[in-house]
Amino acid sequence: MGTTASQLGKDMLSEYQELTFLTKQEILLAHKRFTELLTKDEKDLPNNRVPMERILTLPELKSNPFRKRICNVFSTSEYKDGGLTFEDFLDLLSAFSDSATLEIKSHYAFRIFDFDDDGTLDCGDLEKLVNCLTGETDDTRLTPEEMRQLINNILEESDIDKDGTVNLSEFQHVISRSPDFVSSFKIVL
Amino acid sequence: MTSYSNGGLFNPAYHDSETLEIDRRSSSKTPLHTNPYARGEGADGHYSTGQISSDDALRRVPRGGWQEESWRGRESLPMGHISTRPRSPSWQHDINHSTFQIPPDSQYDRSLSIRLPSTTSGNMTMRRRRISMRRMSMFPNGDPNHVAFTEDAIRNEMENEEQNLVKELVALSTRDRIWAIRDLPMSFDEKKHIRSQVLAFKSAKKSRQFTCFADCSENMSLSFRRCGYGIRSARQTLELWQGIMKEIGGTFGTSVLSYFMFLKWLLMFNIFSFLVNFGFITIPQLVYSPWPNISPNVSFRGLEILTGAGYFNNTVMYYGGYSNETKVHLVEYNMQLAYFFTIAVYMVLCGIALIFSMASSFKTNYVLADPASNSAWQLLCSWDFNITNDKAVRQRKNNLRVQLKESMSEKAQRERLSLSESLKHFGVYLGAWLLSTSLAVGSGASIYYLCQFEQQRATDSANWSLLQEAETLLVPFVVSLMNLVVPLFYSLFNKFEHYSSQRKQIYALVVRNVLLKMSILAVLCYNWMNVVAVKFSCWESMVGQALYRLVIVDFLFLMLGSFFGEFLSNVIGTRLLPRLGVPEFDVARNVLELIYAQTLAWIGIYFSPLLPAIQILKFFILFYLKKVSLTQNCQPPRRSGRAAQMQTIFIALLFFPFFVGAVSMVAFTAWSLTPSEHCGPFRGLNSTYNVVEVWMVHLKETSSSHWVVWIYQNVIRSEIFYFLISLIIIVIIYIFWQVTRGRKLRIRVLREQIVNEGKDKSFLLERLQNLQKSHPDKRSKQKNPKKHSKRRPDDHSSGGQSTSNAMIQALLARQQLEKEEEERLSTGGVPVPSDISSSSSALIQAMQARQRAEGQERNEHYSAGYYESPTNTSSAVTQAMQARQRAQVEGTYDASDPTSSVSSVMMQVMQARQRAEEEDRPQWVPAPPQNPAPAGSSALIQAMLARQQAQNEYDDGY
Repeated sequence: MGTTASQLGKDMLSEYQELTFLTKQEILLAHKRFTELLTKDEKDLPNNRVPMERILTLPELKSNPFRKRICNVFSTSEYKDGGLTFEDFLDLLSAFSDSATLEIKSHYAFRIFDFDDDGTLDCGDLEKLVNCLTGETDDTRLTPEEMRQLINNILEESDIDKDGTVNLSEFQHVISRSPDFVSSFKIVL
Repeated sequence: MTSYSNGGLFNPAYHDSETLEIDRRSSSKTPLHTNPYARGEGADGHYSTGQISSDDALRRVPRGGWQEESWRGRESLPMGHISTRPRSPSWQHDINHSTFQIPPDSQYDRSLSIRLPSTTSGNMTMRRRRISMRRMSMFPNGDPNHVAFTEDAIRNEMENEEQNLVKELVALSTRDRIWAIRDLPMSFDEKKHIRSQVLAFKSAKKSRQFTCFADCSENMSLSFRRCGYGIRSARQTLELWQGIMKEIGGTFGTSVLSYFMFLKWLLMFNIFSFLVNFGFITIPQLVYSPWPNISPNVSFRGLEILTGAGYFNNTVMYYGGYSNETKVHLVEYNMQLAYFFTIAVYMVLCGIALIFSMASSFKTNYVLADPASNSAWQLLCSWDFNITNDKAVRQRKNNLRVQLKESMSEKAQRERLSLSESLKHFGVYLGAWLLSTSLAVGSGASIYYLCQFEQQRATDSANWSLLQEAETLLVPFVVSLMNLVVPLFYSLFNKFEHYSSQRKQIYALVVRNVLLKMSILAVLCYNWMNVVAVKFSCWESMVGQALYRLVIVDFLFLMLGSFFGEFLSNVIGTRLLPRLGVPEFDVARNVLELIYAQTLAWIGIYFSPLLPAIQILKFFILFYLKKVSLTQNCQPPRRSGRAAQMQTIFIALLFFPFFVGAVSMVAFTAWSLTPSEHCGPFRGLNSTYNVVEVWMVHLKETSSSHWVVWIYQNVIRSEIFYFLISLIIIVIIYIFWQVTRGRKLRIRVLREQIVNEGKDKSFLLERLQNLQKSHPDKRSKQKNPKKHSKRRPDDHSSGGQSTSNAMIQALLARQQLEKEEEERLSTGGVPVPSDISSSSSALIQAMQARQRAEGQERNEHYSAGYYESPTNTSSAVTQAMQARQRAQVEGTYDASDPTSSVSSVMMQVMQARQRAEEEDRPQWVPAPPQNPAPAGSSALIQAMLARQQAQNEYDDGY
């Protein structure tokens, strides 16, 4: 622990603490786990970006059905390859941490569920979301008929302004009424 | 689904159109969802054009030229230019300038400036809704920046958002600011940027008023913050069982985890109570008389560990082991007062802690939760990101699929339930309830008779024979057996009942179990109060012993329970009857067992102050036991969801019947029962509470602290005080109740409003589609706005305009596309070159203006019955006027020269406008007579006026 602390630097650490919901221990642990993902020669470079494939080897993300979306949402990479820098990684952990607010969590959940990145959840997004949750293979997937009904139900439930899509505020409205969300939208290293 | 077909769900045009985004952008309360996730992937990310290479953007010009233009406009803005623009009067305070000029070195590069406007606009809303609401009202007309999406408007918008954010952050206290920045949904870099800006501004301000005090306070707050971080991380290091918790959550999900959290929480309660009791009661007693006066003929026989009798009888374990003296060693220590106040304060603290945790969990989990919808979204949102185990993930997916299917079929078959069926269900309920209630009452009665039997045999002597001592275990054994067996019957009943939802089923089960436990405890308490208290000389110790036995035997049965409940059913499920399958961990049953155990500890705290120590040990072992039993025998729960609500219910149950019951039992003992005469701290008093009266008399005579006496006599003992307090509380409750009702009403109204706006939208969509179909021939007729312009602007009073305006614009943009197509056709199919992409936007603006005039006309008819909103109206009217005038101008232009290339002329218009803006401002700035809109929108209105003027000028010249 001591070595990682000195690696991060006190100023950096306090800045990270101030800008994320993480505690010192969590940041140090995150740093440790992150540097483990780096290869030997990458370790010396200052601002590393770990490619998505390597991020997804983390056991916390490995079997998550949304793992790729999570990486894409939190990545600030210019190539949109889902690679994460350490700061992106901290952002991810911060949003999924215990003390993050509902607003932050629902915002990122919305972006994770918004598969085509167009700012609303439309039928395509919802279908992908359901497929993600029930499994992608043919025998686990819902039938088209069921899927249609389900999406209708979802929209009926949440689409307040009846425009056929769920936008962020509608989504947050839904989220605020499902109390389990906060406790389940959580990833701990 | 008819409503959706209106709304465009099945309307392919609606879906395919790029313009969809535009209307959302302006219709929603939070503009955030228009966030151009700048790293959008795939062809759909037409928002992300800011980062897409320019020829990519070009390719899209014909499709979404309007947006392209707006984004390109942003892209080409150097930040310095923006900040010094003299154009927004409301932001000309030097504060803003300084905020923007401070970080010249910061990474305020182009890419950031592209992303910023939208993200920040989102933040504002996200961060504090209240503030954003105010800001929304500053931009009436549903974000008019989208109404006239000119470069100026964009600039203003960017400037405003950024500056607003920084300004508000600066205004906050350090602590709040840190929270606010942390809560921004932006990437780390952007947060860092905002923070550096705020800090830079802070320091700039501070250098002006540099005082030692400010410096000191800053340092102080910094060190406090550091300290806070330190405490937080220290607490996290001390957190018990972190790894195990993570493991359980990873394989079994949140609902099972909640049991362990509850167990840990109770353990903390007991550690606290142990520390308090041990520190204030036991240590003083041990210091002054370290060795209990055990009669020599009592020896330790081993059975005491189970029964708690005999050897333990005179130790500090029980009430009887404490003396009533005022110890004078180094300081005076009154044991009586210490005993009384420690127990009292502990009970009060427990109550407060329970009430607070109950209230907060009610707030988040119950009031906000929607009781009606247990359907699709609940399931979709319930994905447990905790789960890391591969197998568990697969299982969870399967369960979720089943649940989704069930939720659909439930919805389908909810209505059809014939009378005979519902009668049958009712009969089954009635039978099950009768049976379970009679079981509870029966077990209560049998325990009553058992207690009587035991009392007859028990003698009040110090040394019992081994057999006598063993006999005392009979009652606890039977009680625990009932607690183990009867709930199994209840679960059996549950199988025969058909509850419409799983939640009702669990509630029924919980209520029955609570009834059972309450009846058993009530009988036991009655027995202790009325029989034991009379019969034995040191009856408090006897009760303490009884409680000790109950706690110990309960622990043994908990172990047995997890053996039978989980291990045996696992064996049966895997070996004998595979049909039953591997058991699930029954959270409800297990939590109720914990609650029961904790109630015993609370009741016992008066009679046996060190009972929490036993409880700590018990819970500690139980944690590991349950963990092993869980991982070895159980599978993850098939049904997810409602974990948080169940947790709330359990805390509420712990508080209401159980804690309140325990407190009233202890309070009754302290106030009404005569303490035993020969043992314990309160010997010789009429009641425990007498100790306070004696103390007061003593204080009155001797000491100088008369205020304590005064408080005692005028507050604690006066009826008036309690009367007033309860009166005030009742009034406050009434007021809050009324406020709540008002809010509910408001929520309903707001909801209706949203729905109405949605209807507006779909209506306008339809109209515009019709318009589109008959578009080319009718255009000239429709475009003629003369007859409308005669109408006085005062007639327009529509609050719903904001959305509908936006809607119209959305569709306008689409029409624009068509027009562009047409245009291209007319110019011989030559694609529009990239340089005049700005001209296309000008064209769009022209079109928009023209059609906005129409749109508002229609809108006015449509929403005539709508209630008025003065601010909206005024600026809407302003805009309407301007738009109409512009439309007029353009209409004449159209008529006079239909053949010339529209786009190039419009480009000229743009240039003329900009020229006009720069020269001769005073000429028209005071001109707008109808400009009552708030500061925020004034910049926009000016922009629009400028455009209008330029067009007029151009027209004149023409």
